[in-house]
Amino acid sequence: MCNFDNTYIPIQMKVKKILIENPDRSLRTYDLSFVNEDDKKRFNYLPGQFCEFSILGKGESPFGIASSPTEEEILKFTVSRTGSVTNEIHYLEEGDIVGIRGPMGNWYPIEKLKGQDVVIIGGGFAFTTLRSLIIYLLENRDDYGKITVIYGARNPDLFIYKDELKIWDKRDDLILHLTVDKHVKGWDKLCGFVPAITKDVKPDPTSWCIVCGPPVMIKFTLPVLLEMGFAHDKIYTSLERRMKCGIGKCGRCGIGSKYVCIDGPVFSYEELKNIPDAF
Amino acid sequence: MIKIKKTDLHNFIEFLIKDYNVYAPADVGKKIAFKKINSAFEIRHDITNTHLSPKNVFFPQSEVMFQYSDDGLKIPERNEKPIAVWGMRNCDTSSLIMLNKVFGDAHQMPDKNMYKDPYWKMKYDNCLIFGQACNEPLSTCFCNWFDGNPFAKKGADVFVVDTCDHFIFEGVSEKGKAFLLKYKFAEEATKTDLDKIAELKKTAESYLPEKLDVKPLYNKMSQIWDEPIWDEISAKCINCGACTFVCPTCHCFDVSDEGKGKKGKRIRLWDSCMFQIFTREASGHNPRELSTQRVRQRLMHKYNYFMDNYEQYLCTGCGRCVQVCPVNLDIREVIKQILDYKISRNEDN
Repeated sequence: MCNFDNTYIPIQMKVKKILIENPDRSLRTYDLSFVNEDDKKRFNYLPGQFCEFSILGKGESPFGIASSPTEEEILKFTVSRTGSVTNEIHYLEEGDIVGIRGPMGNWYPIEKLKGQDVVIIGGGFAFTTLRSLIIYLLENRDDYGKITVIYGARNPDLFIYKDELKIWDKRDDLILHLTVDKHVKGWDKLCGFVPAITKDVKPDPTSWCIVCGPPVMIKFTLPVLLEMGFAHDKIYTSLERRMKCGIGKCGRCGIGSKYVCIDGPVFSYEELKNIPDAF
Repeated sequence: MIKIKKTDLHNFIEFLIKDYNVYAPADVGKKIAFKKINSAFEIRHDITNTHLSPKNVFFPQSEVMFQYSDDGLKIPERNEKPIAVWGMRNCDTSSLIMLNKVFGDAHQMPDKNMYKDPYWKMKYDNCLIFGQACNEPLSTCFCNWFDGNPFAKKGADVFVVDTCDHFIFEGVSEKGKAFLLKYKFAEEATKTDLDKIAELKKTAESYLPEKLDVKPLYNKMSQIWDEPIWDEISAKCINCGACTFVCPTCHCFDVSDEGKGKKGKRIRLWDSCMFQIFTREASGHNPRELSTQRVRQRLMHKYNYFMDNYEQYLCTGCGRCVQVCPVNLDIREVIKQILDYKISRNEDN
């Protein structure tokens, strides 16, 4: 944890590298490096966890960790410019110091996935923690079965991690299906919304499935998976809420008697199906 | 049990102030609330209950979490004397136990240490709570629905009864007993005093409403999520949030930065689940967009979710929300309405 005596105090991190992900410059990826060696040693995380990204004077916002624990030295976050904190994050320059609290929440079921086929379904810039998961699985490739990735974005510009997608597309130990909502000139991959493409791809329903994307994508993708016969306890998703404290006290991320920040953000469909309005 | 003449109370409070920062019911503007006092003469004894709950003593409406500047972060330390609170009724002493479960114990959490709230703990740990018998419950009180009683001692270190000309003190916790032993100027309470207490208790209990069995509330609430009853309940709520601010158990907060340039502070402030912006995300998506959803959240949290996490209801029956609601949305009526509600869904299939 960031600070053993006081969880509310951020640790310092340095902006090591900034990558502008798309032509309209609304999505940027930040590689942060630890300022203090001690913080680096203590910061143990797994794919699916999140942090509160702090800009002093503006506030904090929660972001999923996009790097994998196998990529030592850095933490990666991809930030869409939407509100006052993300605006300020977009003004950052390499070398600037920011605050991080975390890692918070639980993680994707990497232990349960061992030896299993895995289907990963993502949408838009919610692909961050899925990148973490994919890198982690590829780094431990022999522990896992077939890996299928379905990733959709509104248009080709809005995919994040484009260079890595190109590399993954060439691998023979990972099947990648990229799709955009509507056909655009020059796009030679799939067209259509994620739920429909999932239906077309026909993943093996005995696999485990990890879904992460905007609420509307999750809402329409889960029924498709259920219809195909995926087991309720093998479908996992990651939820998003306006989390402030990150430690189950401030009250805003409650879903039923659970808190997304400490009981989640990763939940199985088995857990979520009995919680109304969870997604 | 010991007793002190009312006219000698200031001696006792002086003695208390030596070792503690003392909070007690006192004038705050036109209202009466718990505030730090410097002398016994500031205490308002002539009250039924305070307008505001004592949660602000341990969980202030706004609190600096740290200051930042070029020199780095500065975390406020508490080098002051521990806190003593005088004059808390049973509805308020019980509320501290509930809040301490959230902020202090965090017992349902996987790694307890990580989830303890340091700002709460530095004030609550080592505090001394003087519970006070509630001689005259109000027409809005319903503590007896939630395991409370005007003369219950739960949550108090020392229990105090105002018998008109005396204060009778009883040590409840070890900490409370030890403190009373240190005070040498009291008389022993007599049989007459005990009789007087019994009489006052009987009178106080006669003011309370008829006891309602709220045990079935938990199960009932688990079954009515999709029912139209929430539209009925929330119809007149204007989402002003007054109920959440006066409530001794509501504890939602916001974290916000104040400052200019490189110098400023991060503070936390009371927030309310009644507000639309409470859950609105930057994308515009809001899981509790509608008033109905927010009213349901508040009531479900109190009478269902908190039970799941901490095995009790998050309500002490203090009645403050009933007093302040600008549209007379009476939580006692809501509880009855829920208990009486016939579920419209066909449960057979």
